[in-house]
Amino acid sequence: MTHFLSPVSFLRHAASQCLGVALVLCTTWGGGALATEPQNANHPAPGASTENLVHEMEAGEKFDVSETLMHHVIENHDWHIMDLPGTNGYTEIAVHLPWMLYHSEKGFQFFMLSEGSEHANEEKALQHGYALSHGKLHPVRADVQVLEAGGIPSEEFAAHLELDEAGNWVPKKGDHHVVRTHSGVLYAVDTEASVLDFSISKTPLHMMIVALLMLLVFTSVARAYKKRGVKSAPKGLQSLVEPVIMFVEENIAAPNMHGKHKRFMPYLLTLFFFIWISNMLGLMPLSSNIAGNISVTAALAALTLLVTWFSSNKAYWQHIFWFPGVPTGVKFIMMPVEIVGMFTKPFSLTIRLFANIAGGHFMVLALVSLIFILGDSGKSAAGAYGIMPLSVAFTLFILTLEVLVAALQAYVFTMLTAVFIGQAMESHDHHHEHATEDTATVAHA
Amino acid sequence: MFVQLLDSIGQFGAGIGAGIAVIGVGMGIGRLAATSVESMARQPEASADIRGSMILTAALIEGVALFGEVVCLLIAVS
Repeated sequence: MTHFLSPVSFLRHAASQCLGVALVLCTTWGGGALATEPQNANHPAPGASTENLVHEMEAGEKFDVSETLMHHVIENHDWHIMDLPGTNGYTEIAVHLPWMLYHSEKGFQFFMLSEGSEHANEEKALQHGYALSHGKLHPVRADVQVLEAGGIPSEEFAAHLELDEAGNWVPKKGDHHVVRTHSGVLYAVDTEASVLDFSISKTPLHMMIVALLMLLVFTSVARAYKKRGVKSAPKGLQSLVEPVIMFVEENIAAPNMHGKHKRFMPYLLTLFFFIWISNMLGLMPLSSNIAGNISVTAALAALTLLVTWFSSNKAYWQHIFWFPGVPTGVKFIMMPVEIVGMFTKPFSLTIRLFANIAGGHFMVLALVSLIFILGDSGKSAAGAYGIMPLSVAFTLFILTLEVLVAALQAYVFTMLTAVFIGQAMESHDHHHEHATEDTATVAHA
Repeated sequence: MFVQLLDSIGQFGAGIGAGIAVIGVGMGIGRLAATSVESMARQPEASADIRGSMILTAALIEGVALFGEVVCLLIAVS
């Protein structure tokens, strides 16, 4: 039994214990609730199942692991929170997000697909000239018939279609000329039109939420510093944030940037906190992970590349294009190598952050899917309940590791950014300075 | 039968590739852990520094494995 200094610290300790137990109970209960879902999915009222928006299985459908995993990982235009089981199928709790598209002929289009059922959504999308298939919109030529009367494909599209097991005509795998909506209708894709998608989908929405959170926290901390001054002891949110800021400045920025690190502190701090907070938020239920989208991590790495370029000096570019200190023939070989090296660094930043975060979520999804697979899509309750403790235990372990990975990946990204910017700012004399230092030490020894 | 196999040879390759990527990283990080723990035992005062660089280099080495994993994932889903 540890000794507590005051009733307050005892209460704090007790509260954290209760929180820990509550977290374990919630995850176990959550895992159990997930395992019982297949049984619910098989009991909707007859005749109602085709009209609900259940993303999980409809009655009798087999659980498709790869489709579910992909569906959770790719970009989505709704923030789907949960499906509540009701008497008539499921009621969906989701935040529908607007589609903002720029069609090359029709101009800007702004609409929401928030009708009650998938079928109504498809109708609405068709009104704007798009076919809704697997959550994506494809521009279609609505006047062209793909299947003629009698269900035979017309001359134009016969090469793009094939028969599937149920005897329906479906587009060939990887073919972009025909698209099939959820209700089974085939449409001809308008391949000449180019559509730019500017929508606020799930990932941009969550990025804005993280940005808003960061804005609130850091402006309040800044106001506290303004009011109290830097010489007095920090209180409240300041005490949480200040050690982290000092850590970033002393351990990440200063050792790598040789005296000019104050200029880059805003960028490095933003990077560090954005990645850390968004990773942590992605671990909570109902939220989406931001760095699991490669476009986001690529954008962060591109920003790093831009900051590196704008803070580079002549010596940096000289090292890339005309490497000093080597024979002329080698200089020509070094040039493409160095140019490629300039781009592989942000590329590795992108892939490292993306794969760490997306991989963690993938593993959690795969472990939870085990429950559905071994429960044989709802038919075997014994299988589902049997694998549930193991699956939930492993999921808990992976989630704990992900908490560490969230902070670690933020640290690694920020540190490598600081190293690259520091390398770009390094003056030529610094190189020679190091060389004389080493030889001097050797001479002394 | 070989024609039927051809469709899944890609998946087969992706699985093997992912496994091989993990072997390399396991060996690398294992060596890292071994030498860093040994050096922490030899000089306990430097423990904090060594622990810091151990965690950092483990993350960097793991990044390399994840390049391979991403490639295998791309093969597996397309």
